[in-house]
Amino acid sequence: MLSMKNISKVYQTEKVQTHALRDFNLEVKEGEFIAVTGPSGSGKTTFLNIAGMLEPFSGGEFMLDNVNVGSLSDNERADLRNQKIGFIFQGFNLIPDLSLYENIEVPLRYRGIKAAERKLRIEECLEKVGLASRAKHLPQQLSGGQQQRVAIARALAGKPRFLLADEPTGNLDSLMARQVMELLENINSEGSTIIMVTHDQELARRAPRNIQVVDGQLADFTLYQNKSSDSVAERVQQSMAEV
Amino acid sequence: MLEIKPIFNSLLRSKAGAIMLLIQIAITTAIVSNAAFIAKDRIDFLSQETGYPEDEIFSFTTMTFDKELDIVQKFEETETMLRNIPGVKNASLFNAVPLSGSGSAGGLSLKPATEEGPDVRAAYFLADENALDTLGVNLLEGRNFRPDEVIMSASRDVFPEVTIITQALGLELFPTGDALGKTVYFGVAPLKIIGIAEPMKSAWLKDSRPDNVSIIPFVGASIFQKIIVRTEPEQRTAIMRQIEDLMIQDHNKRVIIGLQGMDEDKRDNNASDILMLRMLITLIIVLVLITGLGIFGLTVFNINKRTKQIGTRRALGARKSAIVRYFLIENAIICVFGLVLGSIAAIFMGQLLLENYSMPALDTFYVLMTALFVFIASLLSVVMPATKAANISPSIATRSI
Ligand SMILES: Nc1ncnc2c1ncn2[C@@H]1O[C@H](COP(=O)(O)OP(=O)(O)OP(=O)(O)O)[C@@H](O)[C@H]1O
Ligand SMILES: [Mg+2]
Repeated sequence: MLSMKNISKVYQTEKVQTHALRDFNLEVKEGEFIAVTGPSGSGKTTFLNIAGMLEPFSGGEFMLDNVNVGSLSDNERADLRNQKIGFIFQGFNLIPDLSLYENIEVPLRYRGIKAAERKLRIEECLEKVGLASRAKHLPQQLSGGQQQRVAIARALAGKPRFLLADEPTGNLDSLMARQVMELLENINSEGSTIIMVTHDQELARRAPRNIQVVDGQLADFTLYQNKSSDSVAERVQQSMAEV
Repeated sequence: MLEIKPIFNSLLRSKAGAIMLLIQIAITTAIVSNAAFIAKDRIDFLSQETGYPEDEIFSFTTMTFDKELDIVQKFEETETMLRNIPGVKNASLFNAVPLSGSGSAGGLSLKPATEEGPDVRAAYFLADENALDTLGVNLLEGRNFRPDEVIMSASRDVFPEVTIITQALGLELFPTGDALGKTVYFGVAPLKIIGIAEPMKSAWLKDSRPDNVSIIPFVGASIFQKIIVRTEPEQRTAIMRQIEDLMIQDHNKRVIIGLQGMDEDKRDNNASDILMLRMLITLIIVLVLITGLGIFGLTVFNINKRTKQIGTRRALGARKSAIVRYFLIENAIICVFGLVLGSIAAIFMGQLLLENYSMPALDTFYVLMTALFVFIASLLSVVMPATKAANISPSIATRSI
């Protein structure tokens, strides 16, 4: 359902050209749960932003549900983000002046869903993340973990087929991180496709498929998922050997 | 798709900036609507119909220092000389110049001054049978003076027996509208009304009765004599330029002073109103600009404060147009409250001006028009920063912490 072929991304700043992604190839199937790891600055966020149509790419071909993303207008991309993609950010990105209820409502309003249905969905999603009683609270009245759960509820409310998460547990302690991970696993088991960038090896290992971005390129470890080994470094070596 | 409710709720949660803007909008509305109303009142005053073709008329004063001269005789010759200048329509001796701010006024009564009777304030011009034509004023009823009815005298031993008055004066003297042919008294002197003239203004636009004018056929040629000349409009400037030479050629023991067009006279006489008008217009422009800049600045500030939020909204599926709309709606909400408050303040302020400075009562139409104008100006001030906001990349959502 998601296919990237030879995607490249170049950032042009005054004098420096940064090749954040090069020859990036990836196929994602419906219902997968993919953990993306890799060193800092290797291009994980860049990849996720392109996958979520938050940024244009410089070259290559990107198909999402058989739609050629490169040929879409800005409005078409906005609508597609709204309908198909749910985002979860490291910094939660809840809107501080809106209550939890109103925060979750934002993408639903952009989609033009009627008030009655919005209410149903918001309540359902708040229930799912265990915060039903706090609908009227403001984000600042919640702990980080709770805020991230609200952000997940917001991502889920639109019933997206894709959940993209950039270090969703990066600002959370390990207990809260595990709660969030469990939530994502539940969501995945209900059918949503999830791509999650993380620095946490333990969490990454819980995902059925791991991919690593190194220096703007992809190393795929799906094949080794069931081998009980080992450190990431070993896997890299193994994959290198196979190529 | 209008998201008024969440925008409103969000405004309630971070009020400070919004309230400052709201107050600014309210103050602007209150002041601008009153200023605009007063300005319009002044414009109406300054551009009111005076009854005279002001651009065709000019006047001057002749000071004669020839003691030997038969001044009455000489001025008759001078009038003829003036009328014969090519481009001059008519000329006449006057005791005062309309709209100039200096003239004579008194009471016209239904009874002689020795008896009790109603007395109506009227400005009077002493002039000859050419007066109406020189002023470009027509008769509505009755007739003009006959030459034999005009008294030419340096003394006031003999006084005329007829007068021509404006319709307004006629109606005030005889509310039934049958002034023509009636007799009124100027002091003890009876004057028969032989003509009713079209509306014309007295020497003072701000008089309590600027429309009450009476013309009395009396030429008391004096050392300081005012002369009014009407010309073809396009020749007035040229004739005014040569008038001094012609007058001195006509008689060399005289000096010409105060040569001025009627429109200039009127302008000088109402200079304070013109100044006030200019100040009001400046005030309006400055206030609207300040409010516009304030809104512009606040929106820019809001956008800079909310870049991450805007990026997040874009990531969640907001089109660019939805971001622009967000700021427009937010501004419109603040505006509506500011305008309601401002309109109430405007009416209150109008009341104070009415009571303390005898200004005319504020017309609510001006409040509504000002509110509409401020609303549009305010939305226009938002468009540019809001468009800038809409161009914030959605990738800000993942890139900023
Ligand atoms: N807007 C930008 N302009 C210029 N260079 C950029 C921009 N965004 C990212 N880069 C560069 O692109 C490269 C990839 O960045 P990216 O954010 O994708 O890394 P990352 O893998 O997410 O790192 P981290 O783990 O630290 O979040 C980096 O070298 C970064 O400096
Ligand atoms: Mg990153």
